[in-house]
Amino acid sequence: MSGPLLVVEGLTTEFPTRAGIVRAVREVSFHVEAGEILGLVGESGSGKSVTGFSILGLIDPPGRITGGSVRLAGCELVGLPARDLRAMRGREIAMVFQDPAATLNPVLRIGDQMALAIHAHETVSAAAARARVAEVLTLVGIPDAARRLDAYPHQFSGGMRQRVAIATALLNRPKLIICDEPTTALDVSVQAQILTEMRALARDTGTALIWISHDLATVSSLASRIIVMYAGRVIEEGPIRQVLSAPGHPYARGLLDSLPAKAVAGKDLMQIPGAPPSMLALPPGCAFAPRCLRADGACDAEPAPTVAGDRRWRCHHPHAEPTS
Amino acid sequence: MSPAIVEVRNVSRRFAPTPSIGERIAGLFGAYVENRTVHAVDRVSLDIAPGEVLGLVGESGCGKSTLGRVIAGIHPPSDGEAFIHGEPVMGGSRRRVKTTTRVQMIFQDPFGSLDPRFRIGATIAEGPIAHGLIRRAEARAEVARWLSAVGLPADAADRFPHQFSGGQRQRIAIARALAMQPDILVCDEPVASLDVSIQAQIINLFLKLRRELNLTMLFISHDLGVIRHICDRVAIMYLGRIVELGRTEDIYTRPAHHYTRALLDSVPKLVTTGDDLVSFRPISGELPSPLAPPPGCHFHLRCPAADARCRSEAPDLRDLADGRRAACHHPLIDDRT
Ligand SMILES: Nc1ncnc2c1ncn2[C@@H]1O[C@H](COP(=O)(O)OP(=O)(O)OP(=O)(O)O)[C@@H](O)[C@H]1O
Ligand SMILES: Nc1ncnc2c1ncn2[C@@H]1O[C@H](COP(=O)(O)OP(=O)(O)O)[C@@H](O)[C@H]1O
Ligand code: SF4
Ligand code: SF4
Ligand SMILES: [Mg+2]
Ligand SMILES: [Mg+2]
Repeated sequence: MSGPLLVVEGLTTEFPTRAGIVRAVREVSFHVEAGEILGLVGESGSGKSVTGFSILGLIDPPGRITGGSVRLAGCELVGLPARDLRAMRGREIAMVFQDPAATLNPVLRIGDQMALAIHAHETVSAAAARARVAEVLTLVGIPDAARRLDAYPHQFSGGMRQRVAIATALLNRPKLIICDEPTTALDVSVQAQILTEMRALARDTGTALIWISHDLATVSSLASRIIVMYAGRVIEEGPIRQVLSAPGHPYARGLLDSLPAKAVAGKDLMQIPGAPPSMLALPPGCAFAPRCLRADGACDAEPAPTVAGDRRWRCHHPHAEPTS
Repeated sequence: MSPAIVEVRNVSRRFAPTPSIGERIAGLFGAYVENRTVHAVDRVSLDIAPGEVLGLVGESGCGKSTLGRVIAGIHPPSDGEAFIHGEPVMGGSRRRVKTTTRVQMIFQDPFGSLDPRFRIGATIAEGPIAHGLIRRAEARAEVARWLSAVGLPADAADRFPHQFSGGQRQRIAIARALAMQPDILVCDEPVASLDVSIQAQIINLFLKLRRELNLTMLFISHDLGVIRHICDRVAIMYLGRIVELGRTEDIYTRPAHHYTRALLDSVPKLVTTGDDLVSFRPISGELPSPLAPPPGCHFHLRCPAADARCRSEAPDLRDLADGRRAACHHPLIDDRT
């Protein structure tokens, strides 16, 4: 097969609410190559999770995808009947959530609930399913996995439960796993273990990852490319080192510059003024304009994406000129 | 060093946990449910000097919040005592109550910590009026002063919490604490729940307040970058015990305790150039359950330098070179002796 594994084009997802229509994801386009790790960053509410849910067809009504397309290995997923989407989920694309409780059933033993996930897609013997479960649990770093299949989720620590959720995503050997801030709730020491294991997994199994996070440092040690979202749009995309060493979009630049690592200890940090906009009352034109030091009259019009080589951004006055 | 404002002497805090919902459900299904006492804080002693910001770092469940709450007079200690200006934070002997207003606490969640039914002005003025720090007639001016100190307009006083963003609510929570004119502020993860682009604003606010008000702070965070940026000294906690204490820069550049070094190494760093993606090294093994910490040094199961003594004898926090203290039989920096 040639071409990228996943192509998202013009994806727009909306939620009608009593207060008005929330356009959570607006004309989002990006692609994921087979076996690659793509970082997706942005602050809370910028549309990262809704992007992930939209790819999997998990938007609950009245919310819906109102435009665009999601193609996996050339096959269109938007508009696919629910039954086909269910068959695809887990087998082709899986998702790992921030809170492992969203995946794990507290009253089922770990081994039993994971075996159910295999049986949903395949007819295999109970013994074969159990063996596969033990194998993937070992793969994500659970020691002595075969003997812990009969444990309940509460008997595992938070880090172990998140490993079980990741293992569940791996069970049917999907081509793509969308990881939605899976380590945000975990301690640094556990996060480092899981990051190390995920990187090795992607390398060894050829599974592609979309790694959603608000932590640039984490993404910088994992991903080869990055996309940055703000107010529902992708505002910057490119190879990770290029974006982090010379961000083009003022928001991406501001985020990087505000990290304590960029400042002298005890001195004021660079800060982005203001706060992210309400998704119900987006300013006309560029959504970052009220907080942007480079904004001028041109920014009253929504900037179109500028493409240069493998970098892309949406800004009238970017910091770096695209080099191709 | 000038006399300490805060003295924590041999404080322990134990909890006899009630089973969680998950455990109760699993118990109904026949699973074995442990029920033992947690030593959330285990014989901790430390001092905080006037105007100093002391950082408190450690993994989830190691006892940071519990220690912070004992110092702030929210939890009574099970043993030992916390003093502010030489007076116990908690008065009384059988039913212990907080007897000082000199310490105030700021929490992680700016949503939960403000009462949605009250206007901001009333929320800020309530404590100072109740404790006789200000007269009701002064309230409006006083509220305006603290709102301005945290970067909010005076008319914020007439609005309700839901009309503010997370970052603004955290500013309000800080204004409410400052209005009590505390000598010490205990901040428990005060930026953790804020948007990334807002965190820098609140960190800068703490730096400004510190400069202007000479505030003393205990600053709890799991974010080692934030701690390094704003703290003079740092205490590292592991399973209820302080394992290392020293000046921030010393600890970050030359850790003495093996846990401190492993913790620092495990944080992913921002990599902006080069192809080498490996910017961190995980700590081997898992954090032991606080219900059953290993004997001897609590870190020995994960420590590359552990020997027989570490497995049986708990190391005391002792003085090393340059004012550093560490609880380790084989520290990574020289002994003073
Ligand atoms: N009210 C309580 N009842 C029972 N156990 C408690 C209570 N409060 C804390 N604990 C236990 O005491 C230990 C220390 O908890 P504490 O909240 O102080 O940790 P922490 O270091 O602040 O963690 P985090 O980083 O997750 O906030 C944990 O094992 C916790 O489960
Ligand atoms: N079910 C829903 N109904 C209404 N609004 C929603 C729903 N889910 C998400 N949103 C809104 O969509 C926007 C993007 O949300 P999300 O993708 O969860 O952000 P994040 O980047 O933090 O993952 C936010 O404004 C959020 O409030
Ligand atoms: S388009 Fe204008 S307002 Fe938007 S980020 Fe670029 S310069 Fe700033
Ligand atoms: S006391 Fe022993 S086990 Fe504990 S940190 Fe020091 S060397 Fe390691
Ligand atoms: Mg999300
Ligand atoms: Mg805590």
